[in-house]
Amino acid sequence: MPTKNVFDQRISKFKNKGKDPLKLRDKRISDCVELRKAHKIESFLKRRNITLSSLPDEDALTADTASDDEVTPLTIEEIVQHVNSGCNATKTRGCQAARKLLSRERNPPVKKIIDCGLLSFFVAFLSMDDEPTLQFEAAWALTNIASGTSWHTKQVVEHGAVPAFIALLGSPLLHISEQAIWALGNIAGDGPVYRDALIDCHVIPALLARITPDTPVGYLRNLTWTLSNLCRNKNPFPPLSAVQQLLPPLVQLLHLSDKDVLSDACWAISYLTDGSNDRIDVVVKTGIVPQLVTLMGHADVSVVTPALRSVGNIVSGSDVQTQVAIDAGVLTALPTLMRHSKSIVQKEAAWALSNIAAGPCKQIQQLITCGLLPPLVELLRNGDFKTQREAVWAVTNFTSGATVEQVVQLVQTGALEAIINLLQVKDSKTILVILDSINNIFMAAEKLGEIEKLCLLVEELGGLDRFEMLQNHENETVYQAAHNLIEKFFTDDKLEVLTTEATEDEFRFQAADVKKAFEF
Amino acid sequence: MDLNETNLQTLTEFLRKTLDPDPLVRRPAEKFLELVEGNQNYPVLLLTLLEKSQDNVIRVCAAVTFKNYIKRNWRIVEDEPNKISDVDRTTVKANIVNLMLRSPEQIQKQLSDGISIIGREDFPQKWPDLLTEMVTRFQSGDFHIINGVLRTAHSLFKRYRHEFKSNELWLEIKLVLDTFAAPLTELFKATIELCQTHAKDINALKVLFSSLTLITKLFYSLNFQDLPEFFEDNMETWMSNFHNLLTLDNKLLQTDDEEEAGLLEMLKSQICDNAALYAQKYDEEFQPYLPRFVTAIWNLLVSTGQEVKYDLLVSNAIQFLASVCERPHYKNLFEDQNTLTSICEKVIVPNMEFRSADEEAFEDNSEEYIRRDLEGSDIDTRRRAACDLVRGLCKFFEGPVTAIFSGYVNSMLAEYAKNPSMNWKHKDAAIYLVTSLASKAQTQKHGITQANELVNLTEFFVNHIITDLKSPNVNEFPVLKADAIKYVMIFRSQLPKDQLLQAVPLLMAHLQAESAVEHTYAAHALERLFTMRGPNNSTLITPLEMAPFTQDLLISLFKALSLPGSAENEYIMKAIMRSFSLLQEAIVPYIPTLIGELTQKLLIVSKNPSKPHFNHYLFESLCLSIRITCKANPATVGSFEESLFPVFTEILQNDVQEFVPYVFQVMSLLLEIHSSSIPSSYMALFPHLLQPALWERAGNIPPLVRLLQAYLEKGSSTIASSAADKIPGLLGVFQKLIASKANDHQGFYLLNSIIEHMPPESIMQFRKQIFILLFQRLQSSKTTKYIKSFLVFINLYCVKYGAIALQEIFDSIQPKMFGMVLEKVIIPEVQKVSGPVDKKICAVGITKILTECPAMMDTEYTKLWTPLLQALIGFFELPEDDSIPDDEHFIDIEDTPGYQTAFSQLAFAGKKEHDPIGETMGNPKILLAQSLHKLSTACPGRVPSMLTSSLNTEALQFLQGYLQAASVQLV
Repeated sequence: MPTKNVFDQRISKFKNKGKDPLKLRDKRISDCVELRKAHKIESFLKRRNITLSSLPDEDALTADTASDDEVTPLTIEEIVQHVNSGCNATKTRGCQAARKLLSRERNPPVKKIIDCGLLSFFVAFLSMDDEPTLQFEAAWALTNIASGTSWHTKQVVEHGAVPAFIALLGSPLLHISEQAIWALGNIAGDGPVYRDALIDCHVIPALLARITPDTPVGYLRNLTWTLSNLCRNKNPFPPLSAVQQLLPPLVQLLHLSDKDVLSDACWAISYLTDGSNDRIDVVVKTGIVPQLVTLMGHADVSVVTPALRSVGNIVSGSDVQTQVAIDAGVLTALPTLMRHSKSIVQKEAAWALSNIAAGPCKQIQQLITCGLLPPLVELLRNGDFKTQREAVWAVTNFTSGATVEQVVQLVQTGALEAIINLLQVKDSKTILVILDSINNIFMAAEKLGEIEKLCLLVEELGGLDRFEMLQNHENETVYQAAHNLIEKFFTDDKLEVLTTEATEDEFRFQAADVKKAFEF
Repeated sequence: MDLNETNLQTLTEFLRKTLDPDPLVRRPAEKFLELVEGNQNYPVLLLTLLEKSQDNVIRVCAAVTFKNYIKRNWRIVEDEPNKISDVDRTTVKANIVNLMLRSPEQIQKQLSDGISIIGREDFPQKWPDLLTEMVTRFQSGDFHIINGVLRTAHSLFKRYRHEFKSNELWLEIKLVLDTFAAPLTELFKATIELCQTHAKDINALKVLFSSLTLITKLFYSLNFQDLPEFFEDNMETWMSNFHNLLTLDNKLLQTDDEEEAGLLEMLKSQICDNAALYAQKYDEEFQPYLPRFVTAIWNLLVSTGQEVKYDLLVSNAIQFLASVCERPHYKNLFEDQNTLTSICEKVIVPNMEFRSADEEAFEDNSEEYIRRDLEGSDIDTRRRAACDLVRGLCKFFEGPVTAIFSGYVNSMLAEYAKNPSMNWKHKDAAIYLVTSLASKAQTQKHGITQANELVNLTEFFVNHIITDLKSPNVNEFPVLKADAIKYVMIFRSQLPKDQLLQAVPLLMAHLQAESAVEHTYAAHALERLFTMRGPNNSTLITPLEMAPFTQDLLISLFKALSLPGSAENEYIMKAIMRSFSLLQEAIVPYIPTLIGELTQKLLIVSKNPSKPHFNHYLFESLCLSIRITCKANPATVGSFEESLFPVFTEILQNDVQEFVPYVFQVMSLLLEIHSSSIPSSYMALFPHLLQPALWERAGNIPPLVRLLQAYLEKGSSTIASSAADKIPGLLGVFQKLIASKANDHQGFYLLNSIIEHMPPESIMQFRKQIFILLFQRLQSSKTTKYIKSFLVFINLYCVKYGAIALQEIFDSIQPKMFGMVLEKVIIPEVQKVSGPVDKKICAVGITKILTECPAMMDTEYTKLWTPLLQALIGFFELPEDDSIPDDEHFIDIEDTPGYQTAFSQLAFAGKKEHDPIGETMGNPKILLAQSLHKLSTACPGRVPSMLTSSLNTEALQFLQGYLQAASVQLV
């Protein structure tokens, strides 16, 4: 079928490319242009004004300064004067005033504060270990600046804050090191360049040193988030050596019970698995897959989503990697997720299924045995559009790799009816993928000698009508695919002497044997 | 070509001449323009003229010429010269938008098309400022200009609705959204406000509403691929305004025209499409708005009239409801009994009514009516949309919906009963309602295959359908008659057989109805009933049951062909064909008359073939007449030839291209019936069949090859004795066919017949040449199809002339050729041969090579003996190798047949598969065992040693099985 070229984009992302061109495995397209709002489900790249778990009460912070709630806030000019003063208490007051301005929800004057040269002061304050309050206020102010745009982050980094923050990680005062974790997380979240710069400054061992059995859970949450940002971003991926360092603690974190820790640790794993098979392999080798599959069944959707994403990435890997996930029970976990109340979860589950369906027929058989076909058909019928689109891919992948008997089971579960119904969707590619599935089903019927039976079934289900309508489709490839199906299967009915109908298209050359030899 | 007065003048002259009705003036002028269009400044000259010429005709003509010029030349094709200079390209792009916006509408449209053609090539990379230039015009306040911009934007963006997602496309859309979405939204709001300010000014409203329609269309294009962030953020603005517009009515905008949709209808129709798009693709985000739209669209339907101008709007609106009501989470919007009742009452029933437009089509345009009603080309009709809604509602509410409609059906039938001549349309609607309610699945072959169990179809048939069919006056209430006939036709698989039998004579009576729809439906219904299958795979209605009606049926069908408008009615002709096929020998007594009628028809239609289906069934009917009659009495073939040959001669002489392939097929059928020698009338035609011109038309090739095969089968000795000089010509045809990847198999058919039937001495001198040609083709381009045919041929040759002859001729062409073919072609490829006869030929041929060819035992070929045997056993035992090499899958057939050369195979001229080996050879496996046994007794000890040394164990086991079955032992 001429649909081949159109699949190229998707084909280029196959997990098994080169092994079997018919098996359509789908890696997530991540560098692709988006029209939609950025993904709402993913954790944030940068965070402002999070709560420090280890924050001493406000009194402790303000003990050596006048209670600032009562005084009028300082202007930026005054702040500059204050931080320039020789008195540490005044400096602290100025720095705190700046931090408060920066913590404002609406239009914090970030640019102004940068422009009047305050950053170099703040960075210098970071190293003043005997002035913990000043140190803390400066760290906080810088954190808030780093949480802004890329340009903002850049200012913080270029003023030399990174080594200072890494040094602060070791601070004996928990709230100060936590503040540093937060700042570093924001810097790492900016993109691969700063992420790798941090890694080069040995941020990882410094962070990992803070994980002990006694680390408070709130602290651990922020730490996990920062670790996840160190795993994040592609082009390039984080260096393999860094990944090797990060994985053991992540595996440890994934066995804790706090849902926020679990969520960010899962996100970290999902970033690490969103790549080539070697990348996936590093993760699979840690033996974490069974735990990820367990977490797919977690009560909280913020854990389920990244766990599912991670496992979905893994099953887009090689057959062996997919088998690890299957052995870990992914197929028993999926039906619940395919029936999840959130459509985004349904979609991700369908996507994972579509990749398993692209595997060898042994894996397809496991998929059938575990009862994945009924929920797949439900999604085809009732899922939202994006879920239906993934489910359609699952059907196409299934039909191109499955045995004839497996295809029959798929049709008997109602998939054919469901995909025919979907031929009315307003998306050319999905229509084409469906037509390709139907073609695959016909090829299975051909092997069984049941073309005629299938033709009738397709017609009864309204398929023929839809193919005929699609012959008016504006997209040439869609038109051609629909036309080919009609030509191949609906114009040469020997039993009813439908060869006579062949003249319906006056301009057609009908050398039956040519057709046979040129088809698979 | 400089931009000067003289050139403008010349161009004006020639443009004027291109409008001249006299081709002698027009053609040279068109030629001239084509000649000079490659010159620099040509497009600039045209733009100057369309702007500045004093003569309005010239301005429009220049605009059209400009657009066509752009269409032909703007695209830069790789490896071809750039047809427009870069300077001109820049000038055109710099000026065209402005010019378009300043021009009167007629010219504006042409330039707008021009912009979108250029845009398709250059936008956005090579025309970065186009959009900004356009967007700034939104502020002009001049809606003539704004509409020009909107129209151009629409033609640029509408491809987003059907193209595949790609990074390139989405980057473009993103760019468009960044510059266009916000100004468009502002324009939308401003336009709506202006509509309120100018609510009483009809002229202003017209312009504003066409802007709104264009904006609404742009919304559809920009939102099609995915939900853009901008529109998600501004959904409230767009959706609440769309909703308001749906509910808006303005007396001023209502048109008097009943046919043409007005601005208001077009706008609302597009809004329905937009809502349907969001409901389908962006469900989650659209959910809060959906119930409001359901209500608005539903109210719209209730308040919209029956006029044709509302058709598109109504069917779009109904389709929207249909698509929403079958989604589980919106079920609740419909489940209330009152809602359901009023949807049935106010939306479905009114849109199923037979309207005056339908009535007109029924009477005056029966072909169109049939196409819509019978063949399902009714996609956008109200009735179809209403049917879809019924089906959608039945997904969750089958019981209540059926109950509601039953009530309606009964009341409509009661209305009809009160006064049939006034209220017949009520019955029509009732039948339509029953049909749409009852049919859950339908195929052409069986009609309705799954029915709603809550509807009693037989009862309705007995009480309301058969009564109409029985009415003595077939011309009264023709629409109801057509409905009744259609009911029988589509519910044929659901009705009991005795009811169908009862209907047959009634349907025959309706063949004589004056209404074209009515008698066509009757013919079609009969044809469908005759194709139904009963037990034992035979026809449901048997020839015996038809016996009392045979004569009437034949007479009625042929008489129907003489009704006005039905002289070439394909349904009637198909019914004739099907009747022949059903009745079989029962038609023999009528053949003399029938063949006369058919020949007469053929003579008439061959003057001007215009209805391909009719013609096809006519030839099928001729074939059936011949087969049925000659099966009973082969001697009658002569009388068919006598009546048909004069017409055939005329067709061939006048070269009626559509019919020539049919004629060859009928002639093949006739010739194959002859038992021994070939009549001289055929021989006279033989030389003509070899004329190259005939073979140029692809549609002729299959039937001509078949005809030549029939000549060879029946007349090989005549050809050898009295037409020996034609043998090279015959082989020339083979050579031509073999050179084509599309037709090589046809060449092999011919060659196989030559080898099988021609006396050996007559082709002796050509044999070596034949093989050389085959090898050349094998070397230059081998395809799987070619190899399969080639293998069958060489094995047939071996069976016919012996293995030694095969080996010798190969080796005479090139030393060791035989070994090479064995090693490189036969052994690796034989597994691909398919089809029982072809497989048998290869099995027997290879057995002969193994056992009757001394060179296989005594020369270096000996090393190939066991591999060949291994391949043969594999050929017997392993599944066929149907793989096709990768590079062949996408092969292009280099000589794909052109348009005029259709070949339509006649089913009833079909030929039985020919088996040149026949039963004499018996089971090939036994033959192999016996032949091996014979070989082993000739050279004792050698065969067993060759077997045990290199045949694999599995193959050896199979072979022992054959030997046992043949009760022989190797020595």
